[in-house]
Amino acid sequence: MSDTMTDTTTEPATRPAGGRRQWAKAAMLLVILVWCLFPFLWLVMTSLKLGDRALNSPDLFQGPFGLDNYRNVFEQDFHLNLRNSLAIATMTTLICIAVGSLAAYALARLPLKRRLLLLTGVLAVSLFPPVALVPPLYEVWRSIGLLNKWEGLYLPYTAFELPLTIFILTTFYAAIPKELEEAARVDGATPFQAFYKVVFPLAAPGVFAAAIIVFVAAWNEFLLASTFAPRNPEIAQTVPVAIAAFTGQVEFQRPIGTITAACVVVVIPMVLVALAFQRRIVAGLTAGSVKG
Amino acid sequence: MTQTRPAAAGEARPAARPPRQRGSGLSERALARVFVAPSLALMALVALFPVLYAIVLSLFEYTRRQREGFAGLGNYTEALGDDRFWSALWFTLVFTVTSVAAEFLIGLGFALLMNQTFRGRGLTRAAILIPWVIPTVIAAQMWFFMFNVTPGFINTLFGLGDFNWLGQPGWATFAIVFADVWKTAPFVALLLLAGLQTIPAEMTESAMVDGAGRWQRLWYITLPLLRPAILVALLFRTVDALRVYDLVAVMTGGAFDTESLSVLVQQYVVRTPDPGFGSALSTLTFILILGIGLLFVRALGRDIAIGRGEEAR
Repeated sequence: MSDTMTDTTTEPATRPAGGRRQWAKAAMLLVILVWCLFPFLWLVMTSLKLGDRALNSPDLFQGPFGLDNYRNVFEQDFHLNLRNSLAIATMTTLICIAVGSLAAYALARLPLKRRLLLLTGVLAVSLFPPVALVPPLYEVWRSIGLLNKWEGLYLPYTAFELPLTIFILTTFYAAIPKELEEAARVDGATPFQAFYKVVFPLAAPGVFAAAIIVFVAAWNEFLLASTFAPRNPEIAQTVPVAIAAFTGQVEFQRPIGTITAACVVVVIPMVLVALAFQRRIVAGLTAGSVKG
Repeated sequence: MTQTRPAAAGEARPAARPPRQRGSGLSERALARVFVAPSLALMALVALFPVLYAIVLSLFEYTRRQREGFAGLGNYTEALGDDRFWSALWFTLVFTVTSVAAEFLIGLGFALLMNQTFRGRGLTRAAILIPWVIPTVIAAQMWFFMFNVTPGFINTLFGLGDFNWLGQPGWATFAIVFADVWKTAPFVALLLLAGLQTIPAEMTESAMVDGAGRWQRLWYITLPLLRPAILVALLFRTVDALRVYDLVAVMTGGAFDTESLSVLVQQYVVRTPDPGFGSALSTLTFILILGIGLLFVRALGRDIAIGRGEEAR
C-alpha cells in the first residue's frame, strides 16, 4: 500500500491500461484475503452465537449473541490446558534455541570435518515421521513414568524441532561477517567468547524468528500429545488435545459453540503474534529453504 | 591471547572434556565438537533410539502389553497381510499426491499474484500467515463443522441440501484434502514468493522486450529460476503430508476409507494396545516415509542439500 509509488516503477509503464490492471489485480488479492480470513470470521461469529437454532444456522449474523460459550470453555478447565501448552512450548523453545544455536554456529563457522555428513544426518532426522516414535516411546515413557508429564512431551518435541532450528540458525549465523569474530579473536577473546559476546547478539533477529516458529510447532502438536497425555488438564493435557476432546460424548453432537469459543481463545493471541512479527517469521520460514 | 579472564574460561568449560589448549580456551575444532554434541545427543536419544527400539519390540508377540514370546517376523507378515494396512497406505498416498499438487498450484498462483500486485500487498502478506499459525486441530474442527450436515455451512452456501460430505468414502477424503489445502497453500505461497523475489525484474522485462508473452515468460523464465524454491516447498509438503494425523483424527476418526498410516499406528498404542504389532506397523511406516523423503532429497533436491553445505561454510 505505502510502497505503491516506489514499486510501480518495476511494472512496465508502457501499458496504457496500467491503472485498471492494477485495480484488477488488487481485486484478485481479495480472493487470497477471503481464503485466509473468512473461516476465521466464521469461527468468531459462531463462537458468539447462543442456542441451538442460532448455532445450527449457516447465517453468520443470526443471533442471539452472547459470551456463554466462553464461560463454558473455562468451566471445563481450559485455562489449565493453556498453562500446560504454554509450559511445554516454552520449554521446547528454550532447549531448542540453547542447544540448536550452538550446533548451528559450529556448522556455519567453525572448521568441522564431515560437515556435509552432519547436515545430511540432521536433514534425515527432519524427515522422521513422528508416528514412528509413538509405540516405542510410549513403552519407554510408561516404564520410566513420563506419561502424562510435561517432560514426556517437550523432550520429543525438542528432538523434532532441532533440525529446523539448526537449518534456520545456520543461515543466519552464516550471514554474519566472519571478520567480526576475527577482530574479537585478535583482541584476545577465546572462540567461545567470540561466539557468545559477538555473534550471538548479532544473530538475535534470526534466533527470535526460529524461536517463534519452534514455539508454534510445539504449541500445535497433536499426535504425541493425544497419545502420551490424552486426559487430565490438571496434569499435562495440551490445548489441541482438549479442543479435539470436546468431541467425545456423542459422535454427531459436537458442542459447536464451546469448541469454536475455545478455538477463538487460542487463535486470537496467535494471530496477533503472527501479525506483530510478520517479517521476522517470514524471514525465518524462508531462511531454511530459499537461501540455504 | 596471553590471558583469559577466569569467569569466561569457567563458562567455556562445563561441557568440555578435551583439555584446553595453550591457555586460550578451547581450540576451534574441539569447540565445534562440543557445540554439536548436545544436539546430536538429544536427537540420538529421543529420535533415533526409539526408532531402533521399535524394531526390537516388533519382534515380540504381545497380548495386551504382556510379552508372550519371540515372534520373529510374524508381526511384519501379519501387517503386510492386513488389508487395513494397504488401505491406510493407499489413503496416505492419495492424500499426499492430491493435497501437495493442489497446494502447489494454488500457492504458485497466490505467489505470482502477490509478486505482481502492489495495492494491498502488505495486508495480504500479513493475512497469509493466519492459516499457518492456526493449529491443525482447530482447522480440522472448523472444516468439520463447515462440511457438516446439520449446521451445513457449505451445503447451504452451494444449495446442496443435506449432502453428507464426511459420511461417505471419496467425499470424506475430499473434505480432508480441502482442509489441508486451505491451511497450507498460503504457506507454500510464502515460500514461493520469497523465491520469486530473488528473480531480478530485468530478466522478465528483457524477455518481454524480446516479445515473450505472459505464459512464455512464466514457463521459460520464471519457473526455471524458481526451481530451487519449488523443490524445497514440494519436499517440505510431501514429507509433511505423508504424516497426516490431526485432520483425519478430528474430521472422520479414520472412518470411510480415510484412515492414514499415522492413525492406524496410533490405534495400536492406546485403543487396542499391542506394542509388537504397533511397532511393526510404525517401523514399516518409518521405512516408507523416510524412504520417500530420501528419494525426494536424492532425486530432486541434491542441489539443495549441497547448497546448504556450501552456504554453511
